[in-house]
Amino acid sequence: MKELSKPNRWLTAVLLAPTTLWFLFMLILPLIVILIFSFGERAAVGGYGGGFTFEHYLNLPARLKAFQNTMTFAPIGTLLCLLVAYPLAYYLALKVDRRYKLVLLVLVIVPFWTSLLIRTYAWIYLLGGRGIPSLLELIGFEGVRLINTPGAVMIGIVYGYLPLMVFPIFVSLEKLDRSLLEASSDLGGSPFKTFMQITLPLSMPGIATGCMLVFILLMGEFLIPAFLGGGKIFFIGNALVDLFLQSRNWPFGSAISVTLVVIMLVTVSLYMRMTLRSNTGRDESLM
Amino acid sequence: MSKSNDDNKPISAKQFMKEFRRYEKGSITRRHFLGVTGLGTAMAVMGTAVPSLWSGKANAFGDLGDRMVFSTWPNYHNQVNIDEFTKMTGVNIQINAFGSNEEMLAKLQAGGTGWDVFVPTNYTISNYVELDLIQELDLSKLPNYDAAANNPMFAGPATVNGTVYGVPKNWGTTGFIVNTKDIKSGPKSWKDFFEVTKGAGSGHTILHDYQLTTIGAALCALGYSFNSIDAKELAEAEAVLIESKPHLFAITSDYQPGMRSGDAWMSICWNGDGTQLKNDIPEMDYVIATDGGEIWSDFYCIPTGAPHLEAAYAFINYMQDPYIQARDASVHGYAPADARAIALQPDSLGSDPILHPAADLMSGLEFGAAQTLTDPIRAEVMARFKSA
Repeated sequence: MKELSKPNRWLTAVLLAPTTLWFLFMLILPLIVILIFSFGERAAVGGYGGGFTFEHYLNLPARLKAFQNTMTFAPIGTLLCLLVAYPLAYYLALKVDRRYKLVLLVLVIVPFWTSLLIRTYAWIYLLGGRGIPSLLELIGFEGVRLINTPGAVMIGIVYGYLPLMVFPIFVSLEKLDRSLLEASSDLGGSPFKTFMQITLPLSMPGIATGCMLVFILLMGEFLIPAFLGGGKIFFIGNALVDLFLQSRNWPFGSAISVTLVVIMLVTVSLYMRMTLRSNTGRDESLM
Repeated sequence: MSKSNDDNKPISAKQFMKEFRRYEKGSITRRHFLGVTGLGTAMAVMGTAVPSLWSGKANAFGDLGDRMVFSTWPNYHNQVNIDEFTKMTGVNIQINAFGSNEEMLAKLQAGGTGWDVFVPTNYTISNYVELDLIQELDLSKLPNYDAAANNPMFAGPATVNGTVYGVPKNWGTTGFIVNTKDIKSGPKSWKDFFEVTKGAGSGHTILHDYQLTTIGAALCALGYSFNSIDAKELAEAEAVLIESKPHLFAITSDYQPGMRSGDAWMSICWNGDGTQLKNDIPEMDYVIATDGGEIWSDFYCIPTGAPHLEAAYAFINYMQDPYIQARDASVHGYAPADARAIALQPDSLGSDPILHPAADLMSGLEFGAAQTLTDPIRAEVMARFKSA
């Protein structure tokens, strides 16, 4: 390989500089600060007070419930998102008339034009006593309680994260070579078998990307449980908001953040390894 | 000013509140709201009249810039005042509403808030002074503030070591609200409150997402001081809270939506919100607990490094005008500490038993204590209760 000529190297450095700076100041430095904070003491009036202690890491079990909630709601929420998103993406990619495709796609994006906060507020009223429960009462189901339950949090999650799952799956299904489907049916494959052996495996990259997007963001979620769980269903995100904004225990908050980052790195790298292995030789452009 | 209003009676207070709610919910437009309540006309008149009522002239505002940031509490200001200030001065006001003093402190401690005016509660001011997060007020820039007219009990906490750091906004009590349609046992104390929570009202009680009032309520129920920072007493309070958690509807300081929708039957409540709820839903009863609770006052203050200092002074001065104070209170209900403003209030507010409780009812109430704001045990008890 020819070595880069001097002006070329210079150009490369200039082109990479913004990204490098961004990485350094927006990711690496904050992470280092958080790491340092996590070994410090809480100042008398709150905030960071210097010092060196492992106390906050030893105190992690005090937020066990929050870790448990996050670690159950995030994977289940991701799975539910997938179950809801897949048929929708399938329909959009393979079934819908070309003329309507764009309109329908835009409709999936439209909710993003409004802040999640406002849309979640709307759900408070939909799920509240004067919303869906009062409709259910009309048809004879009395005393149904939706708001501030785990179910409400789950509805909020699936609602809020759906588009993030729909799009990657849509993209991978859209690229699907339809002659493969014809070939399968020519060879006597039932529609179910065709789906299981051709469509589903070929859409795996989309599924993998969608799941990862949703899962990673869900691990840091705090707004939906706070609003639709009535502050009773506490995620790690809520514990962090609480520690930084209410009890002002920055070191403990930092220790939890560091722990969360470690959990995420382990989970995501395991997940990547798994999906990469099962996708070997297939299209990995989405990953 | 309010006198001539009373004579004409263009709209009843109840009707006004109803229209205001509809406007808030977005069922009617702003134009319709202003038209039907007569506020549109009032504003047009005021727009020309008020500048001359000011101690200075309209152009005495000078150049205040075009914006400022105001950090306050939910359901705690009259938008008409805010809009009018903007109209007169050209200063647009960005409003942040907070759920707890801790949250305000956390933001100020982190720095770079860009706030110009904020509304801390009595017990936090000495902390802010200690942390150098608050400015001494130059009272010569606040000619509308009349120290003599303000009740010293409520105005006092803003004076730390002889220096004035704030002028009073409103004062009130922290008790609880009960929907008597659903809870018929008539709870009178915090002890009753937690018993009903675990019994007949299970699944329908709201506690604040605010350590002072929530832990304070549990402490009072146990017979301790609302302000206790004793580790043993706080441990008992934590047990009361954690035991009641499965029976709660929510932990939130924004309790009006839950009470209004009928999902929640009982909540820790500030008295002005109590009036707002009772105005719309007569079965709502505001209770000052017999075993204690909080009495508080809020202040207009300026944080250290406020970027729009002149606008901040102009705004606080405007809000100290007795007429503007009364108009502010006509929306949120909370009582002004300023006798001049109370004199301008309609009788229904000026003598309302929820807003101006009898002295014997208030005798058991405590002002929040400064140490509760920064006490690490209280902070952790609250955090553990929420994450339990």
